Amino acid sequence: MTRTLNPMRPAAGVPRPYRFPPFSRRLLANGLNLWTIPVAGSALVNVHLLVDAGAAAEDEPHGGIAALTAQLLVTGTQRLDASAFAEATERLGIEVSSESSWDSARAAFQSLPQYLDQGLALLAEMLREPRFDPGEFERLKAERLADILQARAEPGRLADETFLQRVYAADTPYRRLSAGSPETVETLSRADVIGFHALHYRPGLAHVVVAGSFDGDAVTASVERHLGSWDGTGPGHRTIAPHHAGLRRLVIVDRPGSVQSEIRVGHIGIDRYDPRYFPAIVMSTVLGGTSQSRLHRRLREELGYTYSVHTGFDARRSAGIFTAATAVQTGVTAPAIGELVSLLEGAREAPFEDLEMSEARSFQVGVFPLRFESTGGIAAAIEPIAIYGLAEDFWQTYRDKLEAVTSVDAHNAAIELIRPDELLILAVGDARVIRGDVEALGIAPVEVVPAP
Amino acid sequence: MPRIAIDRHTLPNGLRVILSRDNRAPIVAVNLWYDVGSRHEKPGKTGFAHLFEHLMFDGSAHVAKGEHAAQVQATGGTYNGSTWLDRTNYYETLPSHELELALWLESDRLASLLPAMTQEKLDIERNVVKEERRWRIDNQPYGTWDEKLQELLFPQAHPYHHPTIGSMEDLDAASLDDVREFFAAYYAPNNAVLTIAGDFDPAPALEMIEKHFGSIAANPAIPQGPPTAIEPIIGAEVRREVPDQVPLPRIYAAYRMPIFGTDGFNALEVATDLLGSGRASRLYRALVREQQVAQDVTTFAFPVIGGAAIFTIWATARPGVSHGALETALWAQVDRLTSDGPTDDELERIHNLHAAAVESSLERISERADRLSMYACLFDEPERINTEVSRYEEVDAGRVREAMAASLRPDNRVVLTYVPAESAESADSAEGAA
Repeated sequence: MTRTLNPMRPAAGVPRPYRFPPFSRRLLANGLNLWTIPVAGSALVNVHLLVDAGAAAEDEPHGGIAALTAQLLVTGTQRLDASAFAEATERLGIEVSSESSWDSARAAFQSLPQYLDQGLALLAEMLREPRFDPGEFERLKAERLADILQARAEPGRLADETFLQRVYAADTPYRRLSAGSPETVETLSRADVIGFHALHYRPGLAHVVVAGSFDGDAVTASVERHLGSWDGTGPGHRTIAPHHAGLRRLVIVDRPGSVQSEIRVGHIGIDRYDPRYFPAIVMSTVLGGTSQSRLHRRLREELGYTYSVHTGFDARRSAGIFTAATAVQTGVTAPAIGELVSLLEGAREAPFEDLEMSEARSFQVGVFPLRFESTGGIAAAIEPIAIYGLAEDFWQTYRDKLEAVTSVDAHNAAIELIRPDELLILAVGDARVIRGDVEALGIAPVEVVPAP
Repeated sequence: MPRIAIDRHTLPNGLRVILSRDNRAPIVAVNLWYDVGSRHEKPGKTGFAHLFEHLMFDGSAHVAKGEHAAQVQATGGTYNGSTWLDRTNYYETLPSHELELALWLESDRLASLLPAMTQEKLDIERNVVKEERRWRIDNQPYGTWDEKLQELLFPQAHPYHHPTIGSMEDLDAASLDDVREFFAAYYAPNNAVLTIAGDFDPAPALEMIEKHFGSIAANPAIPQGPPTAIEPIIGAEVRREVPDQVPLPRIYAAYRMPIFGTDGFNALEVATDLLGSGRASRLYRALVREQQVAQDVTTFAFPVIGGAAIFTIWATARPGVSHGALETALWAQVDRLTSDGPTDDELERIHNLHAAAVESSLERISERADRLSMYACLFDEPERINTEVSRYEEVDAGRVREAMAASLRPDNRVVLTYVPAESAESADSAEGAA
C-alpha cells in the first residue's frame, strides 16, 4: 500500500515554531514541590496536587484502599460536611476531583483566576483535614462494588479487566484494576482509610502543579499559606515486578447473545523508564496509532470488519501492557483474530517502510501542540515529569527524540517488544458461535471461561 | 470573559464563511457544518446521512481513498466528522501552515465526490457503520436507550422518530443511486457553513477559500426536510420496561421541550443543571447521597431544533433498591423544584459552574469553530457564541418554574426502565440470536 505524492496537494506554508511553555519548580520547606506554568492568554487556572498514594502504595490484602481514600476526600472536611463542602466549592464554579491510578493519587480543580486562592484553601483543607464520614464511607464503598458489576456488563471493559487478570502472573499486583477487586474492596474498613491517609497523604513526596493565568508571587504565597504547614513524608510506593502468566494462549470469555466480539491481543509491554520508549511509540503508531496504520487499513478500510482498532503501550512505573484492541461482528471473530496476530508477527519480519515511518513520526511530532491547547492539558503534561522523575526538559526534547527514531530502531523495537510466543489472545463474545472457528485457526490452545 | 472574534463573509455561491482569529498557538481549525442530518432522511433510508458522512472520507476526484486521513495525520493534524438529527459536520485541526491542505481536501469532496464513488467503497463503509451500530448500541448494556426514547417521544411520521445510526435493514438497502441523489440534494456550498478558527492571516485565508470553494456550483433547490411541527406536550405518559443484560435497573425519563435557541430551552437547560450538575445538585444530593436510592444520576437537554427538543434524566438504582422506589424519589425532586423554584444560592452555584465550563470548552479552537458553525448553521447567528453565558444567567427563578411547569408534566414524559433480564438465556432467546 505505498502511496505516491499527490501533485494537487497544496504546498505547506512556513511553519511557526511552537515551544512547550516554560515552567519553574521550587521546593518548599516541607518537601512539597511547587510547579508553576504561566499560560499566555489563558482565562483559567488549573491546580493538580499529586501524592505518592496510588495503588502501588497499598498492599494486596487492602487492594482498592488508595482509590477509595481518594474518592472519599471530596465528601467533606472536619469543618464542612459532604453537602457543605460541595456547596462551598461549586459556588466558586469549582468541581474538585480526587482519584488515583497505580502510580499516584491526584486531587485537582480548574477555576476562573479570581477563585484560585479560595479554591486552594478548600483543596488544602480537604487533603489535610478530611472528614471520612462513616456514612459516606459505606456509601462510596457500596458504589465502588456496584461500579465493578456495571463495568463487567460492558463487553469492552470486561475484556480490559480480564486481559489484565490473564496476562500477569498471580504474584503481580497489576493483574487487577488499580481500584481493587470486589473481594478486597469488600473487606476495607473506615479505619483502613484513615490509616492509609495518615501515612501516605504527606507533602514529602508530593507535587502541586499550577498552570494557567495567575500572579506568580501570589500563587507561591497562597500555596505556602495553605500547604506550608502540612508536614511529614510518607513511605511511598512498593516496587512491582511484573511476571507474565504463561505462553501463547487463547481465552474466550463467554457472553451469550453478544452480537460482537471484543478482542484484545498482547502481552506485558514496557515501563516508563525503558530506553526503547520512543521507538516503541513510533512502532505502535505504525501498527495501530492512526488511520494509515497497518491494523486500521487492513481491518477497517480493506475488510470492513470493525469501526475501530488500535494498539498501545501502557507504560507505568513498572511494565504495563501492550495490546491491539478491536471489536468485530461475531461472525468474523476468527478471521479478525488471525489478521491481528499475523499483523503483529509481521511487524518483526521486515524493516518498516520509509513512508509509514515518516507518516508516523510526523503525526506524533505535529500533533504535539494540539495536546497542550488547554490549560488542563498543560498541567497534566507536568505529571509524568513529577511522578516518574523524568528530565525537566522532557517536553522540550520530546519531538527531537521522536524525529531521531529510525526505521531500524522501530523494527528492533518490534522484534524485542512483540513476543509471538507470549501472546494472550482474548475474545469476549458468544462462545457457542465463535468457538469452533477460533479453534480451527490452530494458533493457540483455546480455553472458554464464563463471564463473571 | 474574552470575546470570540467573528468575521463573516459569504461567497457568491452561497457558502457562508466565518473567520475567528486567535494566534496564541500555531494551530488552526477548519470546520464545516452541512445543513443535513438524519431528520432529512426518507422513509426506508434511516441511517443514510451518517453512512454518507463515512463515504465522504473515501476519496474524491483528486484524493485517493484513505488519502484524506493520511494527508491530515501526516501533518500532525486530527480530523473527523459526525452526524446528528439536524446536521452533519466535518473538521480538521492541524498546524497552521497547513491550512490550505484542509481547505483543498474539504473542497475537493464537495466539488467531486461522485466521480470517485464505487460500489466497493459503499459496501465496506456499510459494514463499518454496522459495526459502529453494534459497538455503540446493540452490544452495550442500556445501549438502545436513546433510540427508544426518540421512538416513544416522537410519532412515526416525525423525523426524530428514528435514530441517526439507522436500522440494519435500511443500511443494507442503501444504494449508489441513493448516494448520488443525497449528494446532489444537500452537498452544496449554499447548504453549508465553513469556519476557520485559530492561527491564520485573514486576507490569504479568504483567497484560499475563494480559490478552492469559489467555483463549486450552488444548488438552487435544496430540498426542505420533512415537516417537524409537533405538539409541545405528548398528552399521556408513555411507559416501557426493557429486559436487558444489565446488572442494575436504570430509569431513562424524557420530555418534549422547546427547541434549542429559544428562551424556553435556556430556562430548561438551567433546570438540568440545578437538578444534575455537580455534587450539590438537587438529584445528586437527594437520590445519591441522602436517600441512597441511586448509584448515579445525569440530566441533559438535547440541543436540537426540529419541532421539539428533548429533556432527559437518567438514574441507576443502587443494588437492592427497586426501580419503583427510585422513580418515586426522582419525581419528588422534579416536582419540588418545579413548585418552589431554585434559591439564589443555587443559581449562583450553577452560574459559576457554567461560566467556568464555557471558558474551558472555548479554550480549544476546534470547539470554538464547531460552535460558530453551529450557531451560523442553525440560526444564521454565529454571534450567539458570545452570549452563551449572558443568556444563561438571564434565566431567573421565575422562568425556571414556568418552563418546568410547562414541560416537565407527567402527561409529557416517557419513562423507559431497563431491568436485569432473568438470565442470559432468556435475553438470548428474546433477541432471537443468529
